[in-house]
Amino acid sequence: MAKEVILDCMGEACPIPLVKAENSLKELEVGDVLVVQVDHSCAMKNVPEWARKEGHFVDIEEVDDGEWEIIIEKAK
Amino acid sequence: MDFFNKLKDNPFYSRWFKAPYSYVTGAILLSLLQIAILATTGNPWGVSGAFANWGAWLFQLIGGSVDNWYYFSSPGAQATLEGGFLNNGASLLNLGIIFGALASSLLASQLKIKKIKSIRQIVAAVLGGLLMGYGARIAFGCNIGALYGGIVSLSFSGWVFAFFMFFGAVVGSKLLVKYFM
Repeated sequence: MAKEVILDCMGEACPIPLVKAENSLKELEVGDVLVVQVDHSCAMKNVPEWARKEGHFVDIEEVDDGEWEIIIEKAK
Repeated sequence: MDFFNKLKDNPFYSRWFKAPYSYVTGAILLSLLQIAILATTGNPWGVSGAFANWGAWLFQLIGGSVDNWYYFSSPGAQATLEGGFLNNGASLLNLGIIFGALASSLLASQLKIKKIKSIRQIVAAVLGGLLMGYGARIAFGCNIGALYGGIVSLSFSGWVFAFFMFFGAVVGSKLLVKYFM
């Protein structure tokens, strides 16, 4: 059963969301989903870029003004 | 309301005002605009030098004097201080950066007042700011004036700055991971 983990990075500036996302994704299994909550626009760029380069499935949702959820499904 | 809902879905609005630009686009825009700064003001683009003047003006406001400070002892520095804020191009440029950043996040509808998460964040911001400000002044430039301005002026000093800034960034990243994760 795939699980979903929420990573709260609100109020954190670059590159902390990216490093935290990298560390949490390492702990997950293939098929699990990591939801990174950010409110720093540069994290909205570098976190998806890294995850796509690693070959994971990525979706970005703007949940509020200046707030995003980056949804990463671990692919390998 | 209808107008804003339509605007939100307009592909040109998203591309120009909302989506982040690529690093290459940013680099080209920065290069063109810094050429404009050099052509109109006669000086390469600088940021942190003006903050030293802001500090001096604030100090004068509360009755202090920097007349005997070595940093401000040159006739040029004295003339800048006497000319005041509105005659200092670099200060106005910095104001432009602050208001430009505000405008861009408002136009993208992404303005958000962020919460401070922990005391550690405050300590790190204050320490980091002091180190950067001090370093930029004793190096006579920050990553804009010394690095960017140096390299585009074909000066070797810009590359030396880049080399050592890289090692500073490595040390900084290690400290960040150690104390903030």
